[in-house]
Amino acid sequence: MHIVVPIKQVPDTAKVKLDPETGTMIRSETDAVMNPLDLYAVETAIRLKEQYGGKITVLSMGPSSAHRTLKEALAMGCDEGVLLSDKAFAGADTWATSYALSTAIRESVPYDLIITGERATDGDTGQVGPGIAAWLNIPVATYVARIENFDGTRFTLARLTEEGYERLSVPLPCLLTVVKEIAIPRLPTLKGIKRARASEISIRGKDAFPFRDEYLGLRGSPTRVVKIETPQVSRKGEVLVIKTEEDLEKAAEEFVRFLEERALI
Amino acid sequence: MVAKNRARPGEHHDKENPTTASTLAAGVIHELQSIVGPSYVWTDPEKMEAYSHDETDAKTYGHMPDVVVFPKTTEEVCRIVKLANQYRVPIVPRGAGSGLSGGAIPHQGGIVVSLERMNALIELDTANMVAVVEAGMVTNDLARKVTEHGLFYAGYPMSLETCCIGGNIAENAGGGKAIKYGVTGRYILGIELVTPTGESVWLGGKLSKDVTGYDLKSLVIGSEGTLGIVTKAIVKLIGLPKAWADLLVLFHTPQEAINAVPRILTQGVVPVSIEFMDRLSIQTSCRYLNETLPYEKAGALLLIEVDGTNPEQVETDMITVGELCEEQGALEVYVAQDKNNRERIWNVRRNIAEAFKVYCPVQSLEDIVVPPSRIPDLIPELEKLSAKYGIQIPCYGHAGDGNLHATLVKDPKMDMETWKRVEDSCLRELYAAVARLGGKISGEHGIGIKRKKYFQEIANPVELELMRALKKAWDPKNIMNPGKIIDL
Repeated sequence: MHIVVPIKQVPDTAKVKLDPETGTMIRSETDAVMNPLDLYAVETAIRLKEQYGGKITVLSMGPSSAHRTLKEALAMGCDEGVLLSDKAFAGADTWATSYALSTAIRESVPYDLIITGERATDGDTGQVGPGIAAWLNIPVATYVARIENFDGTRFTLARLTEEGYERLSVPLPCLLTVVKEIAIPRLPTLKGIKRARASEISIRGKDAFPFRDEYLGLRGSPTRVVKIETPQVSRKGEVLVIKTEEDLEKAAEEFVRFLEERALI
Repeated sequence: MVAKNRARPGEHHDKENPTTASTLAAGVIHELQSIVGPSYVWTDPEKMEAYSHDETDAKTYGHMPDVVVFPKTTEEVCRIVKLANQYRVPIVPRGAGSGLSGGAIPHQGGIVVSLERMNALIELDTANMVAVVEAGMVTNDLARKVTEHGLFYAGYPMSLETCCIGGNIAENAGGGKAIKYGVTGRYILGIELVTPTGESVWLGGKLSKDVTGYDLKSLVIGSEGTLGIVTKAIVKLIGLPKAWADLLVLFHTPQEAINAVPRILTQGVVPVSIEFMDRLSIQTSCRYLNETLPYEKAGALLLIEVDGTNPEQVETDMITVGELCEEQGALEVYVAQDKNNRERIWNVRRNIAEAFKVYCPVQSLEDIVVPPSRIPDLIPELEKLSAKYGIQIPCYGHAGDGNLHATLVKDPKMDMETWKRVEDSCLRELYAAVARLGGKISGEHGIGIKRKKYFQEIANPVELELMRALKKAWDPKNIMNPGKIIDL
């Protein structure tokens, strides 16, 4: 089985600062990490490989620094890394991104299964996974929480919904987006790190595949980010000051009334 | 809820509070009030309760003070100490109260002098790479503030969230980073001390070298508040590391793990920390955390951190260290380079004590230190004691510097009387074994009141006499944290 895992390099959310003037993120290369939710896709792929054999290709689109993220996936146990990196890809929205990734997948590799994370922690759209499936015209199962069975040609899956779980039977080839519940990502081992260091990431530009130029990058993107704003949280808190026993009584009564008015008790 | 919230000095002064300090001469409270202001003199037992213990077991070691005062200036501290001399009242300096040997407990009552209002960063002198701070400054606040300037305060111990510089100095606190960065004392260039007779003096200065007479500053560092009250300090800062990598290495046996330590330390890479955990610690902590690492086969683990300013160098160091562990027969070497994974593996180490508290909260956290090469000889001794006394003795700690926190954990079914007897006999045997191996009974927690009895039994009489002579010379009326470390 050949599994392709598209992953994304995102800013380390612990270190992200917003530029108060422009409302955009202040990025620095050293603070970039693998999208934390992609770790679950990588882990799922590795477990499937361990059980059924095969090979895993990790694929990313981004600046050349994103090769570090691909190496991280190799260190965990993936076999091959491909990075789409070209100025022509820059500024792509989810439509253009899923176009570019799906083209690379279709043209470069015979694939059986594509696994993505639920969404990226920077854009937060969750559209690229299903987008790739649409471009490739294959079935997609989103929010997969469990793989219950695999008979060599079909998966039986439990899909997380707001009400509970939905059981699906999905044939290969297909695309799954997985949620955290599916597995706990493994720690990379020293052996894995050394293997990853020794392996080459193949970097491909816009001429590597038969892309339609007008679908690429900012030019090919039907949507634009016009403005990013930090939402203003305005809570109207009421402070009850307690200095004496009487205050305590009063405050307790007031608090109970507050809860009762809102039918909370 | 409200009553449980720890009161803060000066916030809710209650004038109606009756003075309960019956053992103090009537005038003392009044004079203290005139020195620091009435809001900063506490005698309400409910509020003082927090000042009656540290992190040792409050039931065993805790004792109420007669009064707690919160001075704001060195001059106020001097006046308080002079007052204590005049009335011969015990005086106990206190930082955050996160000590582990009872050093800040007023076990004879008297005046607790809390330095928590003296918490200012007085000067950040980047030209000399030093900071001048007041003793009550929370170490973590200092660390954070200097980081903003690309600087690093490397002398901080494990309880950095709460502890303060003054307490660190009094205990010469260590921690997990001592192999590379040493302990608190290395970073203290100068201190302002209020002597046991109430004079203030600066010892040391913004100096890298100083052999001008006796090194009194170093005498005070680690003296557990028995030689005076540190009110200010000049701390040394260094460049901030920019890259880190952590290794979690599983071994079949403690022997294999410990054997790897000297190999690592002699290969030119100086790790920040090499932490050791035995099988019992690993399993208890991992189960407590629901950690999914395949730890079941591991008889021991090492947690190794390397850091530096250059990420490539750090990765090379990490690989060097990891390969040495593999040569020593490591089961598996896990690597954490990003924040989440680093947190994940350090959690296994940080949660040991919490995990054992679930099993039984009654424990004796020990702090023995042996020459690092003797750790393999220590492990079988612990196993023997564990079997003999029928208690669990998990062993974990700073393998790189030989400082291990073997912990006696009471069997939940054992009654307290038996436990007290078992604890006492077991500690005596443990300390004797440690001495045979060329070690000492405390590496970083101190003697305080918790280990005083054992320390006096096991230490060289000549050394003890020198210590007594010193204490008597500095504190003729024996009012400065009396009864700690040694009996006079």
